Amino acid sequence: MKNDASVMNKLFEKLDDLKTIFLYSEKLIPVIQKLIDFMRNTIPLLENINNSITETASKFPTASSQIDSVTSATEMATTEILDTVDKIFMEINSAKLNVENLISSQDGSLNNESKEKLNLINAALDKINQYANNVTLSLQVQDITSQQLAAVNYLIQSVQSRLGSLFQDLEDSNISGMSKYVDKNVFNENARYQDTTQQQKEIDQLVTTNKSTTSQDEIDKLFLKK
Amino acid sequence: MNIKFLVVDDSVTMRRIVINSLSSLNFKDYVEAADGNEALNKLEENPDINFVITDWNMPGMTGLDLVKAIRASEKFNHLAILMVTTRGLKEDIIEALKSGVNNYILKPFTPAVLKEKIEQILNSKN
Repeated sequence: MKNDASVMNKLFEKLDDLKTIFLYSEKLIPVIQKLIDFMRNTIPLLENINNSITETASKFPTASSQIDSVTSATEMATTEILDTVDKIFMEINSAKLNVENLISSQDGSLNNESKEKLNLINAALDKINQYANNVTLSLQVQDITSQQLAAVNYLIQSVQSRLGSLFQDLEDSNISGMSKYVDKNVFNENARYQDTTQQQKEIDQLVTTNKSTTSQDEIDKLFLKK
Repeated sequence: MNIKFLVVDDSVTMRRIVINSLSSLNFKDYVEAADGNEALNKLEENPDINFVITDWNMPGMTGLDLVKAIRASEKFNHLAILMVTTRGLKEDIIEALKSGVNNYILKPFTPAVLKEKIEQILNSKN
């Protein structure tokens, strides 16, 4: 009899527990319902985001290829400019040779006024030579900008690669790869086309101090001036 | 003393600019290479090369790896090396110097700077 009472007590305890669960569930159900509604509303949004990222990522290879085209085109144009400048140098050298031969000719056919004019022509040829030389040097911009473009290309490819691995589990994601990957060794992301006079001076000091095995502290001090 | 240069740069434009600058300084003897590996081949093919002008950033073997390879080689470690690069960070310059470059030029450069550095290297070698 005592045993029956103990069983009944346990049963009532269990029923109390069950009642608590029902009461708790009653409060929880609206929350779960809200969660389900939220998820139901979110799924199309997530699908939109996924589609948008996939669509954007599909344009990466085109962007990357266009950057490559820009680099190739500027290199081709620079080569053409260099070819033309080389021809200018040749013409200048030939003209200078003729002018100098005329000036130094001993046959007396030239009066002083003519020689003076020839000297002026010669000086003008030197200036043209210098200007052509400056054009050549300014073309270093092509190498520097191509390194900057390669850095941008590398960045695009990194984003593409990250997105690819992020979405690889999604069945409908279609993030295709690049046709050609940029080698990180080919560019310096800090490349800048600027006047390097001051920086070169600092490098010269660094080279000198390094050769005389000066301490790292002194090298650091040198660069702190910046 | 005849100086024969090896100009190493993956940019055709830069190689031409360096070579034009060398010509304007009356250095007419040179060979070209587009990366470190090609440079090492050119050194083997042209034992009379005594001066290397190299860029840093190149595909395959970089300029820095080329410098290390030259300094590690009994055959070539006597060569003068000038680095011409866009890399202006202190760490880069120190790394290049520790690897064995004789001097360092920042791009864009002028022929006057190129001349000065070549002369400094040649004077220190003599």
